[in-house]
Amino acid sequence: MERRNFLKTLLFGFFTLSLDRFHSFSSEPNSYPDLVVVTGYPPERLVDTAILALGGMKRFVSRGDTVVVKPNIAWDRTPEMAANTNPYVVAEIVKLCYEAGAKVVKVLDRSVNDPRRCYIQSGIEKLALAQGAKVIYPDEKKFKKVEIKGEFLRSWEVWTEVLEADKIINVPIAKHHSLARLTMSIKNWMGVLGGFRGLIHQRLDDSLVDIAAFMRPTLTVLDAIRILVRGGPQGGDLRDVLQTNTIIAGTDQVAVDAYGCTLFGIRPENVRYIKKAAERGLGKMDIARMRIRKLTI
Amino acid sequence: MLFFYLFLKTESRGLDEIGYPVKIFLEFDPLISLTTMLANRSLSGISYLFLFTLLITFFLGRVFCGWACPLGFLNDLVGKIKNGFKSEKKWFALKYYLLFFTLSGSLFSLQLSGFFDPISFLIRSLTVFLYPFVVFIFHAFIDLLYSLSFLRSFADCLYDFLKEIFLPARPSYFYQSSFIGALFIFILGLNLLEKRFWCKHLCPLGALLGLVSFLPIVRRRVKENCTSCYKCTHNCTGGLDIKKKKWFVSECIECFECERICSEGSILRGGKSKELRVNLERRAFFLSVFFGGIMVPIMRLNPRSGERQFNPRLIRPPGSVEESEFLRRCIRCGECMKVCPTGGLQPSFMESGIEGIWTPILIPKIGYCEFSCTMCGQVCPVGAIKKLSREEKKRTKIGLAFIDKNRCLPYAFGISCIVCEEVCPTPKKAIFLEEGEFITLTGKKRKVKLPKVDPQLCVGCGICEAKCPVSDFSAIYVTSAQESRSEKKRLLFEIFS
Repeated sequence: MERRNFLKTLLFGFFTLSLDRFHSFSSEPNSYPDLVVVTGYPPERLVDTAILALGGMKRFVSRGDTVVVKPNIAWDRTPEMAANTNPYVVAEIVKLCYEAGAKVVKVLDRSVNDPRRCYIQSGIEKLALAQGAKVIYPDEKKFKKVEIKGEFLRSWEVWTEVLEADKIINVPIAKHHSLARLTMSIKNWMGVLGGFRGLIHQRLDDSLVDIAAFMRPTLTVLDAIRILVRGGPQGGDLRDVLQTNTIIAGTDQVAVDAYGCTLFGIRPENVRYIKKAAERGLGKMDIARMRIRKLTI
Repeated sequence: MLFFYLFLKTESRGLDEIGYPVKIFLEFDPLISLTTMLANRSLSGISYLFLFTLLITFFLGRVFCGWACPLGFLNDLVGKIKNGFKSEKKWFALKYYLLFFTLSGSLFSLQLSGFFDPISFLIRSLTVFLYPFVVFIFHAFIDLLYSLSFLRSFADCLYDFLKEIFLPARPSYFYQSSFIGALFIFILGLNLLEKRFWCKHLCPLGALLGLVSFLPIVRRRVKENCTSCYKCTHNCTGGLDIKKKKWFVSECIECFECERICSEGSILRGGKSKELRVNLERRAFFLSVFFGGIMVPIMRLNPRSGERQFNPRLIRPPGSVEESEFLRRCIRCGECMKVCPTGGLQPSFMESGIEGIWTPILIPKIGYCEFSCTMCGQVCPVGAIKKLSREEKKRTKIGLAFIDKNRCLPYAFGISCIVCEEVCPTPKKAIFLEEGEFITLTGKKRKVKLPKVDPQLCVGCGICEAKCPVSDFSAIYVTSAQESRSEKKRLLFEIFS
């Protein structure tokens, strides 16, 4: 190749790249809201509406992507106990990913109880498989120690499937938690960690912020169809479950969690890890300054 | 072959019900059924499938040994390596004395068949030794593949495939693995001395079936053209005595090898057969019965079998019957250990004396008892672990958790940690948190959440002990105090009164 041609190509390349940049800068912040909050029934339609209001799944998933959908499947509990993410929500997201052209969608979580039981009791395995998802069980061999480079958590074992994914969609459930106060999207990252997680509880809030900074999901869909207001994170008593029929979706995990707090009547700044995450610049915590689109069906 | 398929299938797949566990073989086993009935003087917890085996044996002879017994199959396989043939026909009687010994033990309320019954022996050996052994090797191999980066994707595929067909979702390893494995290899190794050594000379189940085989339909005779080449005798797995041209009816396992191998075609079915019976001495009979009885005090001399003394770590699976009945029933087949999803059920050593060796105990540090799981009760063939419904299981206490404040992070060091409370599975948590203060080295006061156990709610599942971050001796641990099955171990007055 001649030098002149090479330079020309290079110039042209930069030009197109900058155009693309310009394009995305100009359109994104203005047209899409920070958060979408949809209330109603059934769960699948809530998900559809929320994603559509955010610009459709094509905004997040490109053709040929490997997508990891990370629900909460921590406990050996049935869906009405609100200990795991609603299976219909998970399945609908899998479906949307495939419609957007994803090559493969993987659904996984490192359960606390026996994973075989959790995956089945939660109903997630069955519904996700029906949508063609690859449901993956945790296995020690699939975790690799990596640099988290956090302020507190320097390195930890992380699920290789998650590390290698093109896109990550976090699909947590909103629950009470006895140490962190609430567990929503940021706390849900515990499920991609290997190793002995009991240790993390000693500095839970700091560690959570470090993991959230490391993970940076493409999209967060918070399941608040049923929320667990006491006895979390495991629950087991229907009297602790509240039917709120809500889905909160957005690209900013801190904003999603901050809004999620309001469901429990808690101020976001009173949940330490949310406050720290906002201070660290991972996202917005001030609900008054978010552009929130509320929809009801 | 069916046996080995079922063995692999005896694994928790996350469902509440297990399909066909390998216990069906044990239910067809008359020796186990008989000793369990004798030892307990009761018919409960026994499947009547064993009558079918007896019936078949009565008319067809020991077809079970030749065509169904999985240990016999393995013996044949190993025997093929080298057929060191020494026919010691006078040893045939040995297994009968072992049978009398076992039966006499159970007459005096001791369950001995677990040690000698071939099916129980095999399932235990496979569960505790052979399967983990093979799984270990496969895992080592796959780990090797994973460590070579260019083979990663291949390793992924292979690993997923192997997990689908053969490897467990989560490998369990067991105490006394090598000890139980050594016995297994020894018994299989005896085949090198003589093919089917176990079946011919030791197996009490074979002896029992031999005694029952009264009217074998298949009878054989030898034609005149026999050249006395002894080919048949060399391959016989049972009772052919070609010199006398006679058969031990009780020893023939109907393998038809003699007919197949005879080049002259001189062994024929039908006609008048000449039958032999194994000679049993009256003296030896009484001796073996005597020894069976004397085993009771030998095995039960144990300071901890008394009223209020019990081993705190003797945590039995949920649904277990009261301890003395448990020992009269459990045949140590290890099926409950195989099926336990967390691998916490382990063969005991001396926790309940020699009598209780290899019976299942829960070691929470290795694996806790999954709150909604009822697998062990579903696979138990002798009713030592009752089959519980899900709701019954959730109410069944197998022990009680205690907190060691000297080790617990918030109590001892003022470090926040709520792991035990978080994992506690009862709907109203048996572990609750109380706000407390911790005074640090510099005299500062720090707020901490202190875990406490409610003895009414705790079921003793041990997940708190398993997940406790204090990883040497957990700061919370379970003992068998207050288990539902025993009134002796009560701790709280109101639960029972």
